[in-house]
Amino acid sequence: MKIAMFPPNSLILEDLIERSGHEPLSLQNQIKQKVIDPEIDSPPFNMTEEDPIKGLKYAAIEVPSGVRGRMSLFGPLIDVAEAAIIMDESPFGFGCIGCARSNELSVFYLRKKGIPTLELKYPTNQDETRDVVNKITTFLKQLGGA
Amino acid sequence: MVRIAQISCGTEYSGVQKEIVKAASTFGAEIIIPVTDIDHIEDAYKKFGFNCASSGIKLMIARAISIVEGKTDCDAVFIATCFRCAEGALVRNEIRRFIQQNTNLPVVTYSFTERTKADELFIRMEALSTVVARKNILAREKQEGLTLGVDSGSTTTKVVLMENNKVIGTGWLPTTDVLESATNGINEAMRGTGYTMDDIDGMGVTGYGRLTIGHKMNAELIQEELSVNSKGAVYLADSQKGEATVLDIGGMDNKVITVNNGIPDNFTMGGICAGASGRFLELTSRRLGVDITELGPLAVKGDYRCATLNSYCIVFGMQDLVTSLAAGSSKQDVAAASCRSVAEQVYEQQLQEIDVREPLIQVGGTSLIEGLVEAVSDVLGGINVIVPEYSQYIGAVGSALLVSGMGKRNEE
Amino acid sequence: MSLKNESKEDLDTKMIILGPASGVSSSELVQKIHMLKLPLTIKSTCYGAMVHGEPDVVKKAVEEARNMDEFNIFIKDRGFPPGDPRRCRGHRGAAREGFHQLEKEFKLLGYVGEALANPKEVSLEEPQKIPVNEFHEIAKSMDLNDEIDE
Repeated sequence: MKIAMFPPNSLILEDLIERSGHEPLSLQNQIKQKVIDPEIDSPPFNMTEEDPIKGLKYAAIEVPSGVRGRMSLFGPLIDVAEAAIIMDESPFGFGCIGCARSNELSVFYLRKKGIPTLELKYPTNQDETRDVVNKITTFLKQLGGA
Repeated sequence: MVRIAQISCGTEYSGVQKEIVKAASTFGAEIIIPVTDIDHIEDAYKKFGFNCASSGIKLMIARAISIVEGKTDCDAVFIATCFRCAEGALVRNEIRRFIQQNTNLPVVTYSFTERTKADELFIRMEALSTVVARKNILAREKQEGLTLGVDSGSTTTKVVLMENNKVIGTGWLPTTDVLESATNGINEAMRGTGYTMDDIDGMGVTGYGRLTIGHKMNAELIQEELSVNSKGAVYLADSQKGEATVLDIGGMDNKVITVNNGIPDNFTMGGICAGASGRFLELTSRRLGVDITELGPLAVKGDYRCATLNSYCIVFGMQDLVTSLAAGSSKQDVAAASCRSVAEQVYEQQLQEIDVREPLIQVGGTSLIEGLVEAVSDVLGGINVIVPEYSQYIGAVGSALLVSGMGKRNEE
Repeated sequence: MSLKNESKEDLDTKMIILGPASGVSSSELVQKIHMLKLPLTIKSTCYGAMVHGEPDVVKKAVEEARNMDEFNIFIKDRGFPPGDPRRCRGHRGAAREGFHQLEKEFKLLGYVGEALANPKEVSLEEPQKIPVNEFHEIAKSMDLNDEIDE
């Protein structure tokens, strides 16, 4: 299954999903599609003023351009997600996930979608990490065949 | 090469990062990202004490601290966040203040949308790189010797001749041919002073026509209007230290510049309709059958509440005005209402985009209309508005002041 | 050659991250991938290695790499190809934004590896608070009546 994750660039989540045989919907793949496009020359991400306009599908015109630009990256991942793992209170995420409002909107859309969703808190110690890893692997197993 | 440190959130995702880099390189500057490491980010964020939800904004704080602590080697700072992001606007201003209070680096700020205007970005980068290159000149607080300042604007050309910290001659005329208008303006300013071009110690030029005039007349200083106008305004208003806002409601468009110790750090320009400009007041006075110079005193005697005049458009604004007069409103009330209408539109279209700081120095031809000055202060909640003497010659005075720090041409 | 021909749209880049408890060194890892003799770009990095190439080949390489220390080697996609000047630290003056997050998550990888090595099926239900009456019953059954204020 295609699994959306939040933060969408989490190493731990992506690794665990991939180990389970499911397909992690990583943000980096979205970035990849943009940065390798030789037709656009707009470093660093090849994002242009067209991207915040594409983001209008997810956020209104009154919303800051940075939110809409980020949503043009997250949005398509949310659209194809069949299940989701949301890790709340992740301590640091810059760049793509550096905007709290974009993050809130993404999580809201994932919840609204009504797909199987596991919500966790970002672990800070050994016990919490063990619990989080066990929950994720259990959740992924319950989703069944990859 | 001038190194401009960028502290921002959202530029890459709005597609404007490329424009920023391009604007910087146009003026011989390069954009660098201040150094931070993960532990530093957390420490810096706690130390700064501004709680924010977005980690991108936390990173901005850490980068600002890296600059203040000297960990990043740079000559100037560019701070930018998305337009309409409250968290971004708050932190952008606090970081700006923090860097200004703790370093001597020039700073400009910017709030952008995906449709960011290249002009606005270019003039910021030009201001930053010239402020770096001309730091010593911009530090000048007193005019010395005999210098000439020319402000070649899109509608009018202004000239002043200054001697030993005093304006001794002025010229003001509509810009037709850029060079011809400048020459006539200079003659006007020289008239009666006994001086000729051979006597002056230096010449400074600003405004749209600055390059043409400056090169043709061998001006010692050719400088963009942002830093010149700021300098001229704080010099005339005797506000050279600390913060201020310079407001120029022009004939066609308006400029608002925020200033710290005489150096500009942000500005907005534009104006959607002539209804928010001096042009509207010109038409009002014509309709009232008074000279534009009489409109101000008339407005001060009136009450804007007694005449309905709140249209965004100059055409409908004039219709409102005619209707008000027909309904029996007095000339005074109509004059007051038209000043109020312009002030409100400038507020809604521009002043809301910038952190207005006291005192507000109102300059340009419209600053001579008392009713408008009063309305601006009122609209901004009674803010202290200063209209210095020679406020209509601000760019020319700034040029004459700055060029006096560049040595005397006859001694070279 | 036209720009379009240079397009590398179908190539993948993956980061291979050695967890803090891993017994494998960065050079051993890189050597192992080299030994696979796969058509790949391999780059040694501070966290392990980066591989870049056709998706199937990259997949094979990371699987082999992971087998070196199953619970302590982690894999993550990367958007930019290796050494891209747009993300290069030397070029920009500071680390790319994603690096800070990698640094933070790296600190938990030891615990993640340990949990993976000792898997346990758990309930996904949030623990619920029990009603006061039920708590009372439990307390009673434990003979703690005296300590409960009626």
